[in-house]
Amino acid sequence: MDLAELWAIFGPGFSGAVFGTGWWFWVDAVVCSSIQVPFVHYLPGIFASLGALMFNCVRKEDIDYSPYDEGEWRLKLWLFIAYVVAFVSLAASVGLLIQDSVVKTGPSTWTGVAGVFQCVFVLISGLMYWTSHSE
Amino acid sequence: MADVPGYLRTCLDMGKIAFLAILVSTGIVLQILACALFNNWWPMLSVIMYVLLPMPLLFFGGSDSTSLFNESDNSWINAAKFLTGASAVGSVAIPSILKHAGLIGWGALALDLSSYVVFLVAILGYICIGDASDNYYSYI
Repeated sequence: MDLAELWAIFGPGFSGAVFGTGWWFWVDAVVCSSIQVPFVHYLPGIFASLGALMFNCVRKEDIDYSPYDEGEWRLKLWLFIAYVVAFVSLAASVGLLIQDSVVKTGPSTWTGVAGVFQCVFVLISGLMYWTSHSE
Repeated sequence: MADVPGYLRTCLDMGKIAFLAILVSTGIVLQILACALFNNWWPMLSVIMYVLLPMPLLFFGGSDSTSLFNESDNSWINAAKFLTGASAVGSVAIPSILKHAGLIGWGALALDLSSYVVFLVAILGYICIGDASDNYYSYI
């Protein structure tokens, strides 16, 4: 069998592993932090997971690429909002990393680094799940 | 193996089952040792992930024991694969996080990861034996 079939078979499991890796990085940061992590720091990971879920709610075959008919504008709006949520959460995690590295009284730099890892891995897992669908 | 007598084939099948049982017992022993040798029961958290690991395929895969290794158009099977992957990572992540937090030492970490590897080998062996059993029935 070729690579595409292998990806269709093992892609969902592998994307689940990457998703779990992202969230476990965050658990590690929270557990190893010497101070309580504020709830604001949880939000980028939560919204990244939400964004990954949003753009995996769409079936590939429903996306219409016809240049003549009016396409499914609701579907494209949904995908647009999903990508906005995903990349705003990524930008927020980078912002929190910068804040954690500059402010001395806040969480340690590892918390910010783990937050960026979390967002990156969660979004990558969403893309993997999307590309591994055979439908 | 059509030339092997039936009773010998049955013995070989029982040998496979016994080998799987030995593997699972070894995994359990390693897990208990990771806790008891150091009198520190934090690594027992990994057992939660071991219990969670087969649940997606049990609930979504039905009786199809080969669904992990087949391409499927069914969204439930893909979701089951996703959750299985996430649980598998958790089994590695929990001892690693405990070590990073300083709650367990290197010895407990090594025993815990060894236990996980042994369980993985047992699960994959069980899946392979399941495939072989299908061949067994097809000879009748």
